Amino acid sequence: MSFSHAQFERAFHPRVIAVVGDKQMNGFLWLRALQHFSGKLYSVQIDPNEIAAIEAMGVTNVHSLLDIPEAVDYVVVAVPRNVTPRVLADCVRKQVGAVTLFTAGFSETGDPEGVRLETEIAALARDANLLVIGPNCMGIANLRLGMCNFPNQLVGEAAAGCVGFIGQSGTHTITFCLRGPVEGVGISKAVSCGNAVVADVSDYLEYLRDDPDTTVIAAYIEGVRNGRRFFDVLRHTTPIKPVILWKGGVSEAGQRAIFSHTAALATPVAVWRGMVRQAGAIAVESQDELLDVARTLLAGKVATGSRAGLIAMTGGPSVVMTDAFTQAGMDVPPLTDASYDKLGEFFQVVGGSLRNPLDAGSTIGMGFRSDNLERLLQIVLADCSIDVIAMDLGAALSIDRYLEYPTLATALADILAAFAQYTTKPFAVIVDAPHRPADAARLRADLLRRGVLTFVSPQRAARALRQCIEYWGTRRSAEEEEPSS
Amino acid sequence: MLCYHAAVTTRALNEIETKALLAAAGVAVTPTELARTAAAAAALAERLACPVALKIVSADIVHKSDAGGVRLGLASPADVAVAFDEMMHAVRARQPAAHLDGASVQPMAPPGGVEVIVGVSVDAQFGHVIMCGLGGVLVEVLQDVAFRLIPLQLRDAREMLTELHGFPLLRGVRGRPGVNLRALEELLLRVSKLAAQRPDIQELDLNPVLAYPDRVLAVDARALIEVQR
Repeated sequence: MSFSHAQFERAFHPRVIAVVGDKQMNGFLWLRALQHFSGKLYSVQIDPNEIAAIEAMGVTNVHSLLDIPEAVDYVVVAVPRNVTPRVLADCVRKQVGAVTLFTAGFSETGDPEGVRLETEIAALARDANLLVIGPNCMGIANLRLGMCNFPNQLVGEAAAGCVGFIGQSGTHTITFCLRGPVEGVGISKAVSCGNAVVADVSDYLEYLRDDPDTTVIAAYIEGVRNGRRFFDVLRHTTPIKPVILWKGGVSEAGQRAIFSHTAALATPVAVWRGMVRQAGAIAVESQDELLDVARTLLAGKVATGSRAGLIAMTGGPSVVMTDAFTQAGMDVPPLTDASYDKLGEFFQVVGGSLRNPLDAGSTIGMGFRSDNLERLLQIVLADCSIDVIAMDLGAALSIDRYLEYPTLATALADILAAFAQYTTKPFAVIVDAPHRPADAARLRADLLRRGVLTFVSPQRAARALRQCIEYWGTRRSAEEEEPSS
Repeated sequence: MLCYHAAVTTRALNEIETKALLAAAGVAVTPTELARTAAAAAALAERLACPVALKIVSADIVHKSDAGGVRLGLASPADVAVAFDEMMHAVRARQPAAHLDGASVQPMAPPGGVEVIVGVSVDAQFGHVIMCGLGGVLVEVLQDVAFRLIPLQLRDAREMLTELHGFPLLRGVRGRPGVNLRALEELLLRVSKLAAQRPDIQELDLNPVLAYPDRVLAVDARALIEVQR
């Protein structure tokens, strides 16, 4: 079944939202999630006890969707499963834009009544060309509009960005919306699509491909309804914007778990991986990696090769960083002679090393000697045998000094932010202080806000950079093969 | 979840039928013919030039070696005649219920090739997919295989080979010459094209394909096709 771009636009940019059947037992999950919605919110509930509590929250309650005195763009349905067909019939009569079925208990249960109800819902939606999301899902989030799919998500410009997310898991979609904005991944739109009975992953992918607010697409997928269509949509998306795919159920036991979760068919993981590569998408193995890759893509610097110039403050981290980049499939070559000549003018080899990695703590005063740090970064940037630059701040050793001398810390951040702007090569900064996780996270967040691409570990930095280099390489060679497209 | 319509069933193609299908699609195969008697086998060995391989032909036998149905490197037509009779006895003893069509006779492939396997199957979500990997122990133990959806582009065929952990064996390692990668890519593209034109193919196995510095050669093959009842 196919829906028009306009139908999705209305669903993802609603002016009026109605929540049907939210109740105290659920902690008024939906009404609380939508309390910052910038448009108009209605509740539909007939139980007098519930209505009192709903009205106490300041939400207008009506007894039926049909009682709402204006057009409704988006409806969240949280009623028991056997009532859903009746509510959907009201949605059709009211000509609403789209419906999210939060209600679970359909084909994923495997019981005949659930399967029958799901078939009934699908037929109802098809006949009325009604965009139904789910069932068994958390629906749409457009955080810019305060349209959340869980309470306490960041909203407005603080959460907004260019990454669109499709999730076959409510939890993964919610956590993406919670984590993304604080980890440098602003969100354009997110949708949890559950059993995806009416609108499938491919439909959302097509919408996000054509959505000008979205420049990077990420998805958590367990299985797709029509594999060929998904492959075709994916293949025609990756030349336009990168698609990051996190596949759930890659083990045999995980595949069994998929069926009771979203009732999706299992595909052997080797086939899935081959399909992803064939389509030019990026396969990741965790939400951490998904966010790392998205952040790297958003930084917008494209590497033309995989030769890394590495900077660390001290010996051990410089060795481990080198291992991390090498194991991720990158090269760590020597710099050019011209670079070593320039470095020789000021680099302190006592207590350091100027091969690659550059063990530079004594030269750049653990980051606090701004002049030398700047010179060093410029030399690595100008070096023609280096494609990407990564620097471990050695924050575990310096975090106390950052806090004690905030002006010095600001000066360091200024240099990193200016260089991140200026560089043509991807520039990754590793910030970690395992004994002071909250301080390290704050430092990362500050740097991210100032446009510096930060990571928690050299391993994660290396892997994300490697993934992006492969994506850019595939896209470039595809463009060379077919210059017309 | 493959749902077969009641009127549809599958039929196994034997080595000779499958090789004919592959040859028509432009895939190099060892010339292979069916002998129903020991005398016919000897005559074929004479014509195809020894040494030859003799393999049982029966729709009921999937694992030919396990059934005693493979004899390799037979040096003369006389040896072939003896081996034919011995094979029929051995297979009948192990699988008395199997219907035996005879044995296939084919020249031994030259030594020194790298064993590669190529397969086509049907995925419940994605339809026809193609697989390739390095043969023997590498495929069984390490599962060093690459998959793609059919049809393949040249870039896909190339990446299927380079992403194998054992790719250095194909590229050449420690003074051992590499194989003709272009020919291997071409074989993958031809098998992909064959499957794309034949939606009735449920399974197709080329195992092994021998890859040499100058060419590639499918030495054994089997297929499963869908037929209307």
